[in-house]
Amino acid sequence: MDVTGASSDAEVVARVLGGDREAFGLVVRRYEAGLLRFAARMLGSRDAAADAVAESFVRAYRHLASCREPARLRTWLYRIVANRCKSHLARRTIADVSLDEAPPVADPSDTEATLERAEQLALVRRALVRLSPEKREAFLLKHVEGLSYEEMAAVTGERIPTLKMRVHRAREALLQVLEEHE
Amino acid sequence: MKLWLGLALLAGPLAAQSARARLEGRVPGAAVPVLDSLVQRAVAEGLPTEPLIQKALEGGAKQVTASRIVAAVQLSLGQLRAARDLLIRAGDEPPVTPGEVTTVAWALRRGLPAPVVQRVVAALPRPPRASAMHAVADLAAHQFDPDSAADLIIAAIGQGLVRERLLDVSAAAAHELQRGHTHAEALALVRQQLPNVPASPKPTRSAVARARRPAAPPPP
Amino acid sequence: MNMIDPRIHQVLDGELAPGALSAELRRSVERLVTAVALLGAPLPLPSLESRVMALIRRPAPSRARRLLRWLATPRAVMFRVRPVWSLAFAAVVALLTLVPIGHEGPDIGEHEGIAQFVGRFPGAQSVHVVGSFNDWRPGSIALEDVDQDGLWRATVVLPAGAYEYMFVVDGERWVPDHLAERLVADEFGRENSIVIVRPARR
Repeated sequence: MDVTGASSDAEVVARVLGGDREAFGLVVRRYEAGLLRFAARMLGSRDAAADAVAESFVRAYRHLASCREPARLRTWLYRIVANRCKSHLARRTIADVSLDEAPPVADPSDTEATLERAEQLALVRRALVRLSPEKREAFLLKHVEGLSYEEMAAVTGERIPTLKMRVHRAREALLQVLEEHE
Repeated sequence: MKLWLGLALLAGPLAAQSARARLEGRVPGAAVPVLDSLVQRAVAEGLPTEPLIQKALEGGAKQVTASRIVAAVQLSLGQLRAARDLLIRAGDEPPVTPGEVTTVAWALRRGLPAPVVQRVVAALPRPPRASAMHAVADLAAHQFDPDSAADLIIAAIGQGLVRERLLDVSAAAAHELQRGHTHAEALALVRQQLPNVPASPKPTRSAVARARRPAAPPPP
Repeated sequence: MNMIDPRIHQVLDGELAPGALSAELRRSVERLVTAVALLGAPLPLPSLESRVMALIRRPAPSRARRLLRWLATPRAVMFRVRPVWSLAFAAVVALLTLVPIGHEGPDIGEHEGIAQFVGRFPGAQSVHVVGSFNDWRPGSIALEDVDQDGLWRATVVLPAGAYEYMFVVDGERWVPDHLAERLVADEFGRENSIVIVRPARR
């Protein structure tokens, strides 16, 4: 337990493995926001992301004993979700964007700033979808989810130089799209 | 000759009668006479009536007001006329096949520019063209340039692919897009694969085993 | 793809201070930083906790059921045999797949196919699919949520062709198919999904 009184990941894992099944709810609450955001940006669909992350949590629970470093639970969870996203993308034959990913319909009460922000986000999302899954994954893990290259290597199983190259290429591709639409 | 003329004369009232029977109880009563007259007009112009009846039934099911249903059916009639005119411009001899009018109307509703639709019609001199149209529209829905999409499908037709296999072509291009290729790369890759684009899988035995037919409508 | 100035990468990797860049390169960095901030905003999605915990509390499938599920899942299988045995094997497989064994579902006509409808509606009491294949008649094709996981499905035999449709949730809420590949305006302010049913025998 840390100074705030919150149980550490290692403590929560120990409780779950000790038979306190309900303690796994803590794991879900703690990591679902980041995992959902990552999966949604990878898959381009919130519905698909919710499925992928829920399935990943269930898988994580069932294989919790195989998490060799409970203190690095977060990295382990990202690994499961990243693999599930890759399987999902490999199965999909058509890029499907759920309607709730479509640009929001403007509301008269929206400020100009809100609309501009929505348009910018739509542009960035479109640029992201055009990246290969590997580059998209690397960019999201590095910049959006804030993992270190060491953590990314643990998530993806790739070497750090490979990951750096993917992140660099992703930045270049995104910047090109963003600057084209200035 | 007289028999055919007689049947043709009967077709109009029969179509209207069957339309009225299908619409009554399903759309607001006030709309039935107007809708009936729109169906009759379609019959008189040699246009398909089923899209109009379906649009009316849809409006009734969605509990839309009578005036909105009528407006939607009038719009549909206009779309059918535009589709018929496009088919004639593309070289189909009048009277054009009603099924083809429905196909072209659908392609235009899905956002394909009229010149693109016309090219696809011209590339397939004989109907049916539904799969070709939907294949091009599918590609356009994935932000492929409509002209380039039509080029690919026309190339596929040239390589002997027909009907549902054309949908496999558009599916293959979209798959390449999902794998991270640009639109131009995806089109080029699929063009290279022609005519051997992967076929879509047939329904699995378990899917067939659990398939059901829709429940029969209740008796009137 | 254009290579960008490597100093941009150095700033983004924390290896160089932004002040070391020209104004133009700093703008490029800001564009990417803004893009990251937009992507990093939390998404307004409901918590998965109750869904995950419900699945966890469910008893795990028995070994027999897991084996059946494994057998039913399509997998690529490769093995090498002499040609004469591969012919014999192919003949047996053809026999087993072409000769109906037990109840195989409805007879599908030459011009009919199968449409599979799937929708995620957790908490729904009923889901129907309504469209031009059933004269937009609500209630005639019901989806089922067999696993009680919010995923509703129906597999329907229909004449081959293209159809417009929507889902109707709890008898009143009309919802487009979020997984549909094709959409078209319905002229009533909403969008219909389109399904193309291919002939099953081809």
